[in-house]
Amino acid sequence: MEPVIEVRGLTARAGTAVLLDDVDLAVAPGEVTALVGPSGSGKTTVALALLGESAPGVRLTGTVGVAGTAVVSADGPTPLAPAVRGRVVAYMPQHPAHALNPARRIGSVLTELARLHRPEAHRRQAAAEYAAGALRTAGMPDGPATLRRFPHQFSGGQRQRVALAQVLVCGPRAVVLDEPSTGLDTVARLRLAGELARLAAQGIAVLLLSHDHDLVRAVAARTILLDRGRVTDMGGTAALLPVRPPAALPAPATGPSPSSGGRNALEAHGLSAWLRPGRRGEVLHDVTVRVPEAGCTGVVGPSGSGKTVLARCLAGLHERHDGRLALFGEPLPVLRHRTPRQIRAVQYVWQEVRNSFDERRTVLDQVARTAVRLRGLSPQEAVRRARQVWERLGLSSEQAARHAGALSGGELQRAALARALLAEPDVLICDEITTALDAVSTRLVTEEIARLRGESRTAVLWIGHDLRLVEQLADDLVVLDRGGVVDSGDRRAVLASPRSETTRLLLRSRDLGSAAVTGPSTPHGVQGKEQPQS
Amino acid sequence: MLRYALRRSGWTVVQLAVLSVLVFLLTDLLPGDAATVGFNEQADLDQVARLREQMGLDRPLATRFADWAHGLLTGDLGTSLVGGGPVGDVLAHSVAATAALAAVTILLLVPLAVAVGLVTGLRAGSRTDRVVSAVTLTLTSVPDFVLALLLVALFSLRLGWLPSTWVGADDLWWQRPELFVLPVVVLLARTVCVLSRQIRAGTITSLGAGYTVQARRLGVPPVRLVLRHLLPNAAVPGVQELARTGDQLLGGVLVVEAVFAIPGTATALVDAVQNRDVPTVQALTLTLAAVACLLNLAADLVSRRLAPRTEVLR
Repeated sequence: MEPVIEVRGLTARAGTAVLLDDVDLAVAPGEVTALVGPSGSGKTTVALALLGESAPGVRLTGTVGVAGTAVVSADGPTPLAPAVRGRVVAYMPQHPAHALNPARRIGSVLTELARLHRPEAHRRQAAAEYAAGALRTAGMPDGPATLRRFPHQFSGGQRQRVALAQVLVCGPRAVVLDEPSTGLDTVARLRLAGELARLAAQGIAVLLLSHDHDLVRAVAARTILLDRGRVTDMGGTAALLPVRPPAALPAPATGPSPSSGGRNALEAHGLSAWLRPGRRGEVLHDVTVRVPEAGCTGVVGPSGSGKTVLARCLAGLHERHDGRLALFGEPLPVLRHRTPRQIRAVQYVWQEVRNSFDERRTVLDQVARTAVRLRGLSPQEAVRRARQVWERLGLSSEQAARHAGALSGGELQRAALARALLAEPDVLICDEITTALDAVSTRLVTEEIARLRGESRTAVLWIGHDLRLVEQLADDLVVLDRGGVVDSGDRRAVLASPRSETTRLLLRSRDLGSAAVTGPSTPHGVQGKEQPQS
Repeated sequence: MLRYALRRSGWTVVQLAVLSVLVFLLTDLLPGDAATVGFNEQADLDQVARLREQMGLDRPLATRFADWAHGLLTGDLGTSLVGGGPVGDVLAHSVAATAALAAVTILLLVPLAVAVGLVTGLRAGSRTDRVVSAVTLTLTSVPDFVLALLLVALFSLRLGWLPSTWVGADDLWWQRPELFVLPVVVLLARTVCVLSRQIRAGTITSLGAGYTVQARRLGVPPVRLVLRHLLPNAAVPGVQELARTGDQLLGGVLVVEAVFAIPGTATALVDAVQNRDVPTVQALTLTLAAVACLLNLAADLVSRRLAPRTEVLR
């Protein structure tokens, strides 16, 4: 079939640096083509070039043709480029949550885009139908209640689907998705695979930018390998990315097995939580979780199941809750009423940490401050200790002197962990703290967690979307779904004989790349699960 | 949203009730009363006491408050102790001029400030931005009365184009638009600058935000991008600032009223305090406070609609 996107000899230069070197590629309609490469290999530069766009200071040459329109020529982007944006090629950025306008109802933006790009959608009614259709295709409910909501009223995974709907409502002939599986839990990833397959089945040319080989294997017919701006190989996915044996992960960093009969460091009994005052919008229902001293309890569940609310309750940040929280048997109040000793004892590290750092001070300073405030160390001593943890987590002293704004998401995630560790906590709550980390950094983090449990007998509550990682770390496992515990107990027992459908689903999606999952039945089976929070 | 609006409005009612008590108590604390002002120094204490009784000033505080509050609710603001006419008339007379002035100012202020804010924000760092920013920052730091006097000296005294005072206009001021020009310009000078700085900052922030970039990549044309995607976010800080400006304008800008001899609320309030005309002081203060409450209510509701995320997660 005639390709929708044709790129020939695309070169991108920033000053003397060559970002892309003579890239050729083609994307055909009706199938998923994957552009695979490590971060920094130029995937996003290619994607933006398809829109005739480049970062400031980057010069494009070569030819990029999109459905017969030249958007990049030998002299850079052509004046025809703006006309193809949205209508012919639509791009979905890496962090789609930021791509939604916080001040607009999603329905209003969707209908606006439909009217802009679909000549037959002039009438309000027709535009509304396109909006509803796009939401359906993206796997969202399409009722008027959904259309009237603002982006912040959706969970993280739902926001991603709203962003996808915005892309689809333009009626593009080609869709470019930039790392769509970043930060998705295993179930959402499985669902995404189904959505991509469905888009391709509708005749859309899909270009998938990813370093997630499992996802690529699951959906892409053809793969292009990109490394340092050059195409190193292209061809059928099966040939380029053979399935690895599943046990190829780094050596399990198993900590000491919990001393039997050890005290419970942190305990939550019959915990319920609400989003709004007056016990409205229940997000947790009668949840019981225990973390023994020096133990590690894993919490898993699909997105929107209440994992983060649970962590926030334990950390004392979510005050609309009911139930018994205990630290070594003593009642644990909300954060405002905790004593300095209790604050030091329970430390919380969360996923999106950038806002918790002051952009104008160096990160190491802020990390060391914990030890000064909570343990009364002298500033010099605190900085010395901070450097030790800092280096164990694979961060350089050059990064230590930088300001928070100049660090990447992965570096900040580790800095946030270091900040919590300097308090020498008795309980460490980790909420998806490896989402922005590559394999090497993830191993350093898991080693540090194991060391903590062994040396300081710290109890760890590990919330994670990567079931394989959780399996390595946790002794006990709690499976959450729709705010309730659906499975819990010893990790091996839970995974060997899952009692709930959710656990079985998590297990199934763990092996996304190695099993055939693109059949339409699987994602539909998941569809009803994640109800929008009201 | 509706629930929030109702709750927020409920609080405004409570605020107003508390305010009325405060206003009454505070005016009661003013030294002296109308009875003492009404007489010259020879009046003996008996006469003063008799007058006080006549005016009902000798009754206990609670009774007088109940009386007054009842009057308020039925629309009777009492009788001016000085002029003898109903307070409502004094109020209508002074508030009308100030309200007209404030309304004209705000009508011009919003489009001007949004335009200036957008132009400077969209081209932050350009020559246009630097020149306009220099002007706005300078105007912010010029005191109102200096600007007023300069304008009067130039346009009224030297060029003779515009009247310098409202004296002689009496009740027909609303028929003479030229009277408004200089006062409105003075009032606009600072408010436009402050508000446009807010809009400029908001514009710069949302210009770099992911949703603006994504909307552009989805083919939203430039003008629509600015008006429909960028402005709703950029306007949020401006809305609160606008409510504060409205407050100040309706409170009667004393300097402007004094320079141009405008019979507005600030002038009326100063007169009433000097004459110990307690009912008038009470009515004026309460009216202004109520307007301030309502403006802030409106601003909160509008910002809530524009930035629905303001709810704090607990």
